[in-house]
Amino acid sequence: MSKMDGAKVGKTWKKKFLVAFMSGFLALGSLIAVFGFTGTVFALPLGGIGDFYVEFDELEGTNFQLLPQIGETGNSDAEPMVRNKMDTAKIKNLHIYKDIKLPTGNWIRIHIKASGDTTITGLIQDARFIDANLSFDELAIKEKNTEAYNENWTQSASTIRITDAKIVTDYLFQTTVSLSGAKISIESIEEPEMMGQ
Amino acid sequence: MGKENANKEEVKKAKKEARALKKEEKIHKQYEKLQEASKFKKWRNARPFWGATLTVLAGLMILYIPLHLYAIAFIPGSLVFVGFLFGGLTLIIGILSFFFPQFSTIFGIFTLFLSVLSVMGALGGFLIGTLVGIVAGSLCIAWQEETVVLKKDGTEWNKEVVVNHTNQNNPTLQA
Repeated sequence: MSKMDGAKVGKTWKKKFLVAFMSGFLALGSLIAVFGFTGTVFALPLGGIGDFYVEFDELEGTNFQLLPQIGETGNSDAEPMVRNKMDTAKIKNLHIYKDIKLPTGNWIRIHIKASGDTTITGLIQDARFIDANLSFDELAIKEKNTEAYNENWTQSASTIRITDAKIVTDYLFQTTVSLSGAKISIESIEEPEMMGQ
Repeated sequence: MGKENANKEEVKKAKKEARALKKEEKIHKQYEKLQEASKFKKWRNARPFWGATLTVLAGLMILYIPLHLYAIAFIPGSLVFVGFLFGGLTLIIGILSFFFPQFSTIFGIFTLFLSVLSVMGALGGFLIGTLVGIVAGSLCIAWQEETVVLKKDGTEWNKEVVVNHTNQNNPTLQA
């Protein structure tokens, strides 16, 4: 046998790739299936897409806090709005929709509807316009002599009840959200809704 | 009956050998291609380049959401912090895969695991990060460094393939 010389070659094996790829998808599928069974999504943010509308029949929340906020909307980088924070919220008949312009010039509306109860923990919402009936328990309004605009004026309540609400929202975050009877649908519309502009 | 079994085993053995030969031929073809390749191509060939690049990309995508939510990332009970961790780890693993190709399988498994779990806390970079992460992890797992054993003159090649630097321990190669 003559003297040998070794040369290194890197190679990606198709069979191994497919096995790993399928296992990855299987793991992802099982994780989504678990969420599907419980209807729970963790840390769901919704923002940076401009105005969207939130409607519901009734909301009951605990540890409510309202703060002034300046945030980004679909048309502006800094728009005055209010930030609502709640530890827990239980919503009846939640309906979220967003109008989107297609490249063709037509408008479509994406609906997310939950016919059952929606339970949320760790809700943060930036709203530009609120049209609703509100009632509070232990409402406190506090002013503070500070330069920080978001601490200058705050409103807090141990519980809040909102009925027949329509809220123009620009940012929404939930630590956990569980939507029962959720339906997502798309319809084409003539022109977008311009509420509170 | 015994003869039939022996025949079957022989066919099986022949098939196995044919498969091994095909694999070796592929490696040899790749080696021949590399002989005329540029310096960058040679460097790329020595590591799971596409797997590592896509892992870095997946890490950045997964980090996108927690970075936008950094203001609330440290609120107690917030899962955004977990998103930071998953995205950051994926990014680090991607960078390490460039420099430590010998651990590509382990890096690939970690990438798969982290990108699937990142659905919690970071929404998996709007799920696109998770999908890119799965492809990247699979590419890293599937990548292997093979050794083509050549005669000194480089014209003929011996059909022995050794996986991942094991040639030092293989007595057949130390002739």
